[in-house]
Amino acid sequence: MNTEARLQRAKDALAPFTRETFAPETNRLDVVIDAGDLTKATAAMLAADCGYLSAITGLDLGVEAGYMEALYHFCDAAAVTSLRVRLSREGQPEIDSVADQVPVASFYERELSEMLGVTVVGTPDPTHLFLPDDWPDGVFPNRRDFKIEDAAPVERDVPKIPEQGRMGNKFIVPIGPQHPALKEPGHFEFAVDGEIITGARMRLGYVHRGIEKATEQRNWIQNLYLLERICGICSHTHTSAYAMGVEKLAQVEVSPRALAIRELIAGMERIHSHLLWLGVVAHEAGFDTLFMYSWRDRETIMNLLEEITGNRVNYSISVLGGVKQDIGPAESKSIHKAMDYLEERIRYYLDIVSTDAMFLQRTRGIGTMTRDEAILYGALGPTARASGLVRDVRLDSPYGAYKHFPISIVTDERGDLEAKFAVRLKELLVTCFTIRTLVDNLPAGDLTVRFPRKVPAGETVSRVEAPRGEAFYFIKSEGGESPTRIKIRTPSLCNWTSVLNKAVGHQLADMPMMISGMDPCFSCNDRMVTVRRKNGSQTMSWFDLRAYGIEKYKSR
Amino acid sequence: METLLAITSIMFFPAGLSLIFSGMLYEWADRKLVARFQNRVGPRWFQPLADTIKLLAKEEIQPLGVNQALFFGLPVVALSGALTAALYVPIFGIQPAYSFPGDLIVTLYLLSLLTMCMGLAGWNSASRFSIVGATRTLTQLFAYEAPFLLALLGPAMAADSWQIGKIVAYTESHWMIVLQPVGFVIALIGLMGKLELPPFDAPEAETEIVAGALTEYSGRGLALFHIGRSVEMVIGVSLVTAFYLGGLGNPLIFLAKSLGLLLVMAFLQSVLVRLRIDQTVGMWWRAGAILALLQILALIVLK
Repeated sequence: MNTEARLQRAKDALAPFTRETFAPETNRLDVVIDAGDLTKATAAMLAADCGYLSAITGLDLGVEAGYMEALYHFCDAAAVTSLRVRLSREGQPEIDSVADQVPVASFYERELSEMLGVTVVGTPDPTHLFLPDDWPDGVFPNRRDFKIEDAAPVERDVPKIPEQGRMGNKFIVPIGPQHPALKEPGHFEFAVDGEIITGARMRLGYVHRGIEKATEQRNWIQNLYLLERICGICSHTHTSAYAMGVEKLAQVEVSPRALAIRELIAGMERIHSHLLWLGVVAHEAGFDTLFMYSWRDRETIMNLLEEITGNRVNYSISVLGGVKQDIGPAESKSIHKAMDYLEERIRYYLDIVSTDAMFLQRTRGIGTMTRDEAILYGALGPTARASGLVRDVRLDSPYGAYKHFPISIVTDERGDLEAKFAVRLKELLVTCFTIRTLVDNLPAGDLTVRFPRKVPAGETVSRVEAPRGEAFYFIKSEGGESPTRIKIRTPSLCNWTSVLNKAVGHQLADMPMMISGMDPCFSCNDRMVTVRRKNGSQTMSWFDLRAYGIEKYKSR
Repeated sequence: METLLAITSIMFFPAGLSLIFSGMLYEWADRKLVARFQNRVGPRWFQPLADTIKLLAKEEIQPLGVNQALFFGLPVVALSGALTAALYVPIFGIQPAYSFPGDLIVTLYLLSLLTMCMGLAGWNSASRFSIVGATRTLTQLFAYEAPFLLALLGPAMAADSWQIGKIVAYTESHWMIVLQPVGFVIALIGLMGKLELPPFDAPEAETEIVAGALTEYSGRGLALFHIGRSVEMVIGVSLVTAFYLGGLGNPLIFLAKSLGLLLVMAFLQSVLVRLRIDQTVGMWWRAGAILALLQILALIVLK
């Protein structure tokens, strides 16, 4: 089925609710519906099999326009259907929850309600998702008339987080925000009965940096470097998604060579991310030897990235309109050499994780998620593919060089931790192969093309397959030097639902592995808004911090 | 004179300072070997000593709601239990300082004292991680203790004595590893369980419960527990070496043998994945205890 047919199917399904339709891009369909029809329209979309709810964008059209919009993006292969619900700017507009149909939407709805000031009626959990608990009422960062001065923290009791499963009068083991199992801050509470988990809940938002909001104050070029810093692991994913979207808006055609180099770097990033994941999960299982070995081998790819781009973490290879560095004969030689080594090592690790009896005891049958559950929970990326659900933007909606250098998809039907290991490691072998092909067949062309300072008005959706799954970008320009709105939905957010729902009934000892099994990235998750503390300033110099520590210690 | 000798033997040799220092050396050897197996550089030779000095110099924080006497007393009891056990064990291939019929049982119980103290300390700490850790420590104790005891009873039955000195004299001419291979494996793995080394480190699995029973301990108390643990390692390795690897013999050869045993333990630590507590218990009772019993049965029948 091609994209037009898919869009037509969505159009037909939505026909009873449609107020207005327009097609901003060839693969997109925007349907304006009434707020009251939202739940019915969602049900119709799901019933007609028109894709999954990928993100909800809250969009303030400004004081002059007099209304706001909530965009429900449904992705179906390359086709993106957006339900646009118009909301009044006056008072507290209301919208119905779709979380009973799409469980993962509860996260999106929480974000929508705290960022745009929309009351989501019937959402299972109305508390803050990303914003701190002491955020003032009635201040919404995504509104156009938001002022940072209004966001001074207020004193209030921390609201209770609703529970999943039985929590009541139970022994609760807290994990995080600071805990040896977590490499980034997040907070989990597990109610245990002996060693068995009877309830789980989570609180995110410890690493807010306000990046989405910050993009609105920076120009198109500055944003590239800002968005790269969303994540230290998949930095290239974010620059790719952003650059791709902005290039679409500006109608700039990037040369095939630059696109191929972007795919090459994305492949290397995937290798680096998956090897890092392998080490982390092995460490969670108490298998430090595998941890040390896989991280040693990860150095190969880090050194390679450094050799090509000059950087090890934020590679900064993409620019708007192309890439910065070329791949010459010397680079391609070292890439081949590195791939030789890595392929051998990855085969070895694959052998270990699928044959070592002790290791299998900790992974086989743990956290099993069926294909239907994966669809229900909205799982993405390797987490979904390990349950036999093929969701991969590189295949569904080939972007950039993936049209000419396609990848083959690895899936596994088992859905447990063992399958996640198998999928990720086999994916590495595929990636190594793709990298070799790319290096040997780099198309000719310029590295960059001229890019305008101002980007024409328009909206675009840009989707990229990160190592963890689909990263979703919605970019809106009003023709100025900086974007009007950038909405980012990272894959980790979608995968949380599956872990929390699967936790109950497992042993406490399995939890670190299950959490890491979906490869969570808290930094990607939390990125929304500037947090200001009581003393008014959020930056502390080293000397201030030291003085503060000494003072605090003395005054005990 | 008698008293002076007793004080010397407790304070300096064979228990006391010499044992503490050798415990540190064993700990270093273990850490270094594991590090090398894991493709790391590993600590320098004086690292355990530096760690201990650092811990002893640090502030000891007492959490709210604990029984103070227990909180400070338990580490001392744990260490003194381990040090006392050393009096009956041929450390470094030298005849034990004291000996009486049945000292094997006393030694084993003195060694368990450390684990019991850790469990109690965790329970007393009133921290959620400590309580889960303490539960796991004690659960694991009940899992490996019986098979470990049975594995050490094998040589004792062969030697017809429950006195370590006599058993060692007998094993000097009989290599028990050849005569009772099952017992040796169980003793070795039981020792790893006793020391909470991987794969039996569920009681202190850092990715789940931080540091288990000892989470709330800092400074002196933590140092004492650590010393106790490394002392236990020396005693355990010496005991298994003396029982199964051809008795005492030359002290240098004995040291080489126990280092060889340490090498095997470090290798196992590096290649095995941590077991969940239910898997540990299941393994010991389903395989360990039954195998040990079968071996004892075979010994009785063959005798």
